Amino acid sequence: MKERHKGLLLLVPTLAIMAIFTLYPLLDGLRMAFTNENLLRHTSKFVGLANFVRLLDDEVFWISLYHSVILTTVVVLLQFVLGLILAWAMSQDLPGMSAFKSIIMASWVIPVAATVIMFKFMAQPDVGLINIIFRLIGLEELNRYWFGDPDVAFIFIILLHLWRNVPFYGIAFLAAMQAVPKSYYEAAEIDGANAWDRFRFITLPGIRSMIIVMVTIHVLWTFNNFDFVFLATGGGPVNATDVLPVYVYRQSWNSYTVGYAASIGTIMLIMLMIYFIIYIKIYERQEVA
Amino acid sequence: MGSKTRGRIVSALLAYVVVIISLIFFILPMLWIIYTSFRTQPSIFTGNVISPLEEYTLDNYQTILSVTDFVTFFWNSFKIGVTVTLLSLLCSVIAAYALSRFDIKGKNALIMGVFSTQMFPQVLLIIPMYLVIFNLFLLDTVIGVVLGQLILVLPFQVWMLKGYFDNIPIDLDEAARIDGCNIAQRLFYIVLPIAAPGIMVAAFFSFVVSWGDFLIVSIISQSQRTATLTLIIQRLSSALLIRWGQVAAATVLTIVPTIILFSFVQSRLVAGLTAGAVKE
Repeated sequence: MKERHKGLLLLVPTLAIMAIFTLYPLLDGLRMAFTNENLLRHTSKFVGLANFVRLLDDEVFWISLYHSVILTTVVVLLQFVLGLILAWAMSQDLPGMSAFKSIIMASWVIPVAATVIMFKFMAQPDVGLINIIFRLIGLEELNRYWFGDPDVAFIFIILLHLWRNVPFYGIAFLAAMQAVPKSYYEAAEIDGANAWDRFRFITLPGIRSMIIVMVTIHVLWTFNNFDFVFLATGGGPVNATDVLPVYVYRQSWNSYTVGYAASIGTIMLIMLMIYFIIYIKIYERQEVA
Repeated sequence: MGSKTRGRIVSALLAYVVVIISLIFFILPMLWIIYTSFRTQPSIFTGNVISPLEEYTLDNYQTILSVTDFVTFFWNSFKIGVTVTLLSLLCSVIAAYALSRFDIKGKNALIMGVFSTQMFPQVLLIIPMYLVIFNLFLLDTVIGVVLGQLILVLPFQVWMLKGYFDNIPIDLDEAARIDGCNIAQRLFYIVLPIAAPGIMVAAFFSFVVSWGDFLIVSIISQSQRTATLTLIIQRLSSALLIRWGQVAAATVLTIVPTIILFSFVQSRLVAGLTAGAVKE
């Protein structure tokens, strides 16, 4: 047997699992989007674009879509900026910094369900840490269940995302920064470049590929993220935090209307594909330039 | 004092401000839940930060471990996590090796294809996946949960390990090949020892993803046989009357294994995770 064929053989287990549990489900999911499939019924029939037509008038769908786009944009943008700031701080050679670096990523490894419980507990009225602190500084009138207030629940969902991922960004950017040759900075200093110029013209271009990977992957992960919202609020109060993945989940596993759920999932996929194509176009153009 | 020294002091001060804010935001919530797990229900409900010494207790842990089926769920999480880790490593190591070392037709398209699965909404995939697992009679079985979770880790793991292998000089393989080593020998004796840190991170990644998974377990698990910790702490924390001390104890016990493993791989974590992104 040729070496090349042996190489192909090594791919078989991975490709088989992905074919059965990713590719087939994807295609079957896309098919379902055009049917009235329901988990409680044994038969289903082709309904054409009926599910998508129904989406147009579905207020919860539009609210969820809006929230998903805002959440992804705000979360990734903030993670990027805060991650850069954190990386900058960690790149300073100061006492205690290596201990700080070694613990700061802990938030990324603990289960999301545990994170949500920690924040739900801190957000409890009267007994939660947030309200205790507000009481101590004389802002007692702010006392409330923070995930239960439609005006601020969404901000708390953003905070959950930041809590989990900003340290990961920080550490990843730091690793990339340390790979930038020191001599670049020394040369710039001799030329009289100030700190901001050095950051803009040496650090940022130096960590560009890391930025691209982190941002791209987190756009996909954040947009598709289900558990933060589902576990923290379930989409409430009164749809204030509803996002598309949670709406799809409720349609499938609470209402069992999987055909309709699949049509929403299809819209999500189309949106991410558009993002992906635009991103590749921009990336390729920059590579050429 | 020169302006350069002053600049350094300002940077140091600013860096410490960032550190302090970060510690409060990222670490305090964990300390607070640990602290809460040692308090009695009445002392939590006073809304005070500090309680009299006699109100600290181990009762929450005792109740969680003895009265509930917590130990069963812990064991389920562990079983599933270890199986996912072993199976995913087995698949991804050889796949990444093939993608890194062999001249395979359409390789780039294949890598792109594997990576682009990150784009597929999991909430869409789980609907047909549920039916597949149902038809295989694997609903509510450990292996059913494992198969479902594998797709959460495989694409990223393959991508990451391929990047890691790419950074190992191919000359080493070539030399071994000329000496008559076959593929398995080259992989086991040449590449794996050098890639050990990357493989450790890959193993850690899959265990943590499996341990923290809620989505897949929530649809494949139907009973105590396969219910994992994430399901249980979610149920405990959405009960009508929440015993926060016990919820805190259960949460701490859920977090501890991941933190212990984290402390082993911590220094290598980022280099491993981002190996696919950084080409040397």
